[in-house]
Amino acid sequence: MTGSNVLTNSDYHKTTLRAYFLQNGFNYSNYQGLGYSLIMYPAFKKLYGNDPDKLAEVLSENIEFYNTNPNLIPFITSIHLAMADNGLEYKETRGIKMALMGPLAGIGDSLSQFCIAPLFSTIFASLAMNNIALAPVFFLLAENITLLAIKFGMGAYGKRLGTSMIEKLSAKMSQISDAASMVGVTVIAGLAATFVKMKVTLTYASSAKAAKGAATSTVDIQALLDKVAPALLPVLYTLLMYYLIKKRGWTTYKLVILTVVIGIVLSLVHVLGV
Amino acid sequence: MHITLIQALLIGLWTAFCYAGMLWGIYTNRALVLSFGVGVILNDIPTALACGAVAELAFMGFGVGAGGTVPPNPIGPGIIGTLMAITMSGVTPQSALALSIPFAVAIQFLQTFVYTLCAGLPEAASNALKAHKFGKFRLIANTTVILFATVGFLLGFLGAYSMDTLKTLVNMIPAWLLTGLNVAGGMLPAIGFAMIMTVMLKKQLVPFALLGYALAAYLQLPVIGIAIIGLVFALKFYFEQDEKQAAPAQATTTSQEESRDDWI
Repeated sequence: MTGSNVLTNSDYHKTTLRAYFLQNGFNYSNYQGLGYSLIMYPAFKKLYGNDPDKLAEVLSENIEFYNTNPNLIPFITSIHLAMADNGLEYKETRGIKMALMGPLAGIGDSLSQFCIAPLFSTIFASLAMNNIALAPVFFLLAENITLLAIKFGMGAYGKRLGTSMIEKLSAKMSQISDAASMVGVTVIAGLAATFVKMKVTLTYASSAKAAKGAATSTVDIQALLDKVAPALLPVLYTLLMYYLIKKRGWTTYKLVILTVVIGIVLSLVHVLGV
Repeated sequence: MHITLIQALLIGLWTAFCYAGMLWGIYTNRALVLSFGVGVILNDIPTALACGAVAELAFMGFGVGAGGTVPPNPIGPGIIGTLMAITMSGVTPQSALALSIPFAVAIQFLQTFVYTLCAGLPEAASNALKAHKFGKFRLIANTTVILFATVGFLLGFLGAYSMDTLKTLVNMIPAWLLTGLNVAGGMLPAIGFAMIMTVMLKKQLVPFALLGYALAAYLQLPVIGIAIIGLVFALKFYFEQDEKQAAPAQATTTSQEESRDDWI
């Protein structure tokens, strides 16, 4: 088989959009393998449609373990389609498909999960906190427009440049993700100081002053703490959580249980309140 | 307040859509979004926003991890927690978050169960293809998302419909415990922030963490302002990196040309 080149730009775009279906068949035996085949289905049908045996064979071959980032997968499917359209068999495209899986999962996850999502999540959650009713809608818009743009960018990249781009791409990506991390860390630290709520309601009564019966016989501990540093307790508690996760390897369950117990006990003895 | 059958059905459909959206990667399965829908359906957007925002921050770190790992599910606070806060007078957004954590964990196990249940799908799909049943292949390849929508619908619908039962249970919780859960709910976001920091925070980024703290705690800037100041440093870094990469490249080309000149 020589290059047939039957696929048009719209086939590439369609396959790029079908990246949303990557996890429609997610399962614990081959992860996104089934979804990969599903994404490629219309394009494969156009390529091999007149030969049901061939179509079934190619789809079947593509149902094998796959697990990468859904936002960057258009890069892989575009390369795959370009190669298939030029008459390459699956065994010849398989190597590149599998080679890209890991790196793109790493780059994609760090970009979408650790930069874009936390950034929008914190910004729009704090807008919602200020009672801006449409904040959730804006969150969805910002998130999805960004990810859709990435998908189309990746799809076009894959089609045009093929394999040699991956190294240059990852260098640029890490630069972008470093810059995004700076914004992310700044915002998250700021929000930790604002949105973690811990208030000391305990007041310290000096016995000497109390004996005199003065009205100002109590020392407001929270006011004292605020003078030392604002939001001191929330920041310290966040640091404690950080320490327990990073150095002690605590799971979220243990942290949640610890927090709930601390909250209940300290409010029961009237140290913390709302 | 009482939830009508229509409202319960709508909440079921909304949960189904949001939960399926998790597989599509459209970020609907976030506490902020889930609770907003409940707020619109029950006509109490302010409470829903407060619940969604608190839970969104607390769950922010839970969603991260390698592909395929299943975190506690925001449907817990986003749907069940928001329902509690809206329908029960004694429940604040903070205590709703603490009360709904067990649901989030239960749904997490449910999801793992669905993924495991679907482990037979690839085999079934291959068999369908062998028989040239392409329609059946497509149906099988969409099974996980169909199951997600079904599970989501049941969770939302049953959650909303059984609120009366839940209400009686919550009313049995003594006041001191509710206050305690309220305090704990205020502290829970610390886990989310710490979680995400363990992934993002490198030594070079510590100054930015300090910057964020100072801007928020001392200057009390709103979050957009903090983000813009962070962006200033990020852009500066980005352009400097660009120049750094460009500079040595130029240097090598010129030195090559020079040496070539010498050589000629």
